[in-house]
Amino acid sequence: MSLLGLILVILGAALLVIAALGLWTLPDALARQHAATKAGTLSLALLLVGAGLLAESEGWWWRIGVVIVLLVCTLPVASHMLARAAARRGLTPRQIAEARPMEPGSRSDTGD
Amino acid sequence: MSLSVAVLLIVAASMLALVLAIARMLKAPSVADRIIALDVLLSAAIALCIAAGLSSGRVLFMDVAIGLALVGFVATIVWARVVDRSGDAEDAA
Repeated sequence: MSLLGLILVILGAALLVIAALGLWTLPDALARQHAATKAGTLSLALLLVGAGLLAESEGWWWRIGVVIVLLVCTLPVASHMLARAAARRGLTPRQIAEARPMEPGSRSDTGD
Repeated sequence: MSLSVAVLLIVAASMLALVLAIARMLKAPSVADRIIALDVLLSAAIALCIAAGLSSGRVLFMDVAIGLALVGFVATIVWARVVDRSGDAEDAA
């Protein structure tokens, strides 16, 4: 169990570094956010499960479950709102209009 | 043995992430970049909470992690609204 926990912790730590490296190297705000949010969420989940396997006590597991459920529910919502705000601020109206066909009411398959 | 190695790894990775995120925050072209860097700082803080809990054996630090996750969610949403509104204000002016 502790070997599996150590492997999960190593993977999580590596992903956390990858998220930060993406934050530093990628060229614009949306790319940076994609790196930081996706890699960050997965790395925290891996770290939490690995820590639970290493700690081997009962009180850890439900807290770890709460943190993971909370992170998986809230991080995508928060990063979506931030990305929308960043896109409205950073892109020109024409770029947003070209990227918009997925929104309801303006789909290209409704005929307009 | 594997416990102390895990704690050392988490702390090292968190420190590296903190340095990179703070560098990005100091040298960011836009407000959104700083908020994303704040998000990474929060992830590193939660990882450090896990390391503290592992090294001390106290489950209390996981409660701190729950609180940090909640506060980070609210903070990011509010900052996103601020970025959104500031754009509106500049457009109206």
